[in-house]
Amino acid sequence: MSTHITVDPITRIEGHLRIDVEVDGGVVKKAWSSGQMFRGIERILVGRDPREAWLFTQRFCGVCTTVHAITSVRAVENALKLEIPPNAQYIRNLIVAAHAMHDHIVHFYQLSALDWVDVVSALKADVPKTAALAASLSDWPGNSSKQFQAVKDRLAGFVAKGQLGIFTNGYWGHPAMKLSPEVNLLAVSHYLQALEYQRTVNQVVAILGSKTPNIQNLAVGGVANAINLDNDATLNMARLYQVKDLLDSAKQFIQQVYFVDVCAIGAMYAPWLGHGAGVTNYLAVPDLPTDAKATTFDLPGGTIFNGDLAKVTPIASFEDPYFQKNVSESIAHSWYDGDWQRHPYEEDTVPKYSPYSADGKYSWIKSPRFDGHVMQVGPLAQVLVGFAQGHEPTVRWAKKTLETAGKVAGVTLTPAVLHSTLGRHAARMIRTCVISELADKHWGLLAENIGKGDTRIFNEPVFPKGEQQGFGFHEAPRGTLSHWIVIEDGKIKNYQAVVPSTWNAGPRDAKNQAGPYEAALVGNPIADPEKPLEVLRTIHSFDPCIACAIHTLDVEGNEIANVKAL
Amino acid sequence: MIYVLGLGNVLMGDDGFGPTVVREFSATHVVGADVEVVDVGTPGLDMMPWLYDAHAVIIVDTIKSDARPGTLRVYDKKEILHHAPSVRVGPHDPGVKEALLTLEFAGRGPRDVVLVGVVPGDVGMALELTDPVRDAVPAAVEVIAGTLRRFGVPVAHVHAEPGPAPWWQDRHV
Repeated sequence: MSTHITVDPITRIEGHLRIDVEVDGGVVKKAWSSGQMFRGIERILVGRDPREAWLFTQRFCGVCTTVHAITSVRAVENALKLEIPPNAQYIRNLIVAAHAMHDHIVHFYQLSALDWVDVVSALKADVPKTAALAASLSDWPGNSSKQFQAVKDRLAGFVAKGQLGIFTNGYWGHPAMKLSPEVNLLAVSHYLQALEYQRTVNQVVAILGSKTPNIQNLAVGGVANAINLDNDATLNMARLYQVKDLLDSAKQFIQQVYFVDVCAIGAMYAPWLGHGAGVTNYLAVPDLPTDAKATTFDLPGGTIFNGDLAKVTPIASFEDPYFQKNVSESIAHSWYDGDWQRHPYEEDTVPKYSPYSADGKYSWIKSPRFDGHVMQVGPLAQVLVGFAQGHEPTVRWAKKTLETAGKVAGVTLTPAVLHSTLGRHAARMIRTCVISELADKHWGLLAENIGKGDTRIFNEPVFPKGEQQGFGFHEAPRGTLSHWIVIEDGKIKNYQAVVPSTWNAGPRDAKNQAGPYEAALVGNPIADPEKPLEVLRTIHSFDPCIACAIHTLDVEGNEIANVKAL
Repeated sequence: MIYVLGLGNVLMGDDGFGPTVVREFSATHVVGADVEVVDVGTPGLDMMPWLYDAHAVIIVDTIKSDARPGTLRVYDKKEILHHAPSVRVGPHDPGVKEALLTLEFAGRGPRDVVLVGVVPGDVGMALELTDPVRDAVPAAVEVIAGTLRRFGVPVAHVHAEPGPAPWWQDRHV
């Protein structure tokens, strides 16, 4: 007999995504991903000045503000063929890097670790054993017996008062929780330390972006960070060194704590390296341009099909026609008027709701496709596309991860295990390690360029009469984000955002090809249909940000998951 | 530090209440140096850096209630943290509450929290507030001023009018 489970909503904070899974014999047979909120914010941009689009796009969503701002100015610059000064490129890159590090630390520790870590079990941990285990994995100074005892006492105090606070709704004691009490205590301690480091790296975004969330320093044509080494009110050496200290501090946490935790927890859940692959077509775009003209990039882009790492097609520039020509969106199963698959320049957004129908229309999310193929985007795509192209830091950190986790698990791990639920967590950590190094490099590029006496930050945009089309992309923490703009006589005529969560969370298309969330759930074990922790594990591994794909104004439900066994 | 945070999405009608209120407060008042007044949008857990080790935080947001649109309600930290999970305080509440609870567990939460909430009328896509919610803005600005004074912060009312329309309503930037 099959059981139908609805998990609704699945994101812990940002919005409203409904997942339906059909379970038979303790295994997911079929899944549906449905965005429950209409998204049409792009329509607000029509008729506006393209120079102000980024202010609006960064309000599309709460937690993805920076990425929509960066992508929007890149789209307008692409339409105008406008180059930006080197300082502007490097300042943007530092914001991109710091934002990604912040986002990934918060995702792993605050938003998804508790799918794997049993907080209550940490109360049973032996403190000296925890410290010995920690010392065997890393020389991080925050791993002392004193530290672990303090965390254990603090946790015991909360439990004694009958208040688990933030941990109230967790699946504690669930049969799918496998870590020892000591590893759970280690993870809870790092959960708390992560709060400090996400704040540290966020300060970089605040300093360079003037404010976060919702940075203020961008402009079509560059940035608005005045540079004057002799002026306290502008970007000067003192501020630059403050940025460097913050980046260094975050880098240590990422490489000595985040890296180790993912390897250790991953090794102890090794069976999850065999679940959750789903779609093994991958898309990533290049990012962190190394010069003003963006002729080369420090993070590579490209496509991989059917998990074949021997064949990768690069995406090599902001103008690459391979990307521009191949993106389309389908609305076959989405609540919009019609049944088309169109290029973003040609799209419209005309809502047409009908009752939820698993065989018909069932989501407000459109289904993006690349040359007609479903693609997975996000850190796993970023890492595999880099790995397949021999990108040195990606290959080095990926190998180190597989070796370290393999040693803990007592097995040999190959890159093929990355096509999985846990592989997405590993890839996110690998990517964060790579970015923590590159942030250093781009800080150096900025400091060196300013040191040469170049203080230029802005090239004035000029809007010719007639129509221009442009697209901008950014490899955001959650994956490939692209904005598509049509400008007519200096005003916005059409604007479409194709966002990472749309690529991953979209419904089936006209050919009935399931989206990445839907495909990844098939085959997942379900120990207890009343508490489908395993569904959360796979969905959270994508870092869903449905507020991004839809919008933030859900007024329903306050639980982690409103589970109905039907 | 004391932070006054306006929460909400300025593109979604009455949800822009928080950002509108903090903007008008900033335009009409001058406050002590240890106070920062910020429109933070809809940050979810990204609110944590603003709450971490803060002395006090005043949050302006929309709230879910059966009361008529434009009704103002003020909640303290205890009420925000200890509302039973089935009682929703605001549309962004999972973010506010989760961020606060997370920092409480870490021992890094703000000492005082005041939530100034308005009951929204329409939160569909729009750049303007509806009339009853617009009419509640001056009272919310007064609540901020009064709360800051209660915290011992000097607050001076320097301008009667909030000045030009905010960027999201001004089509001629």
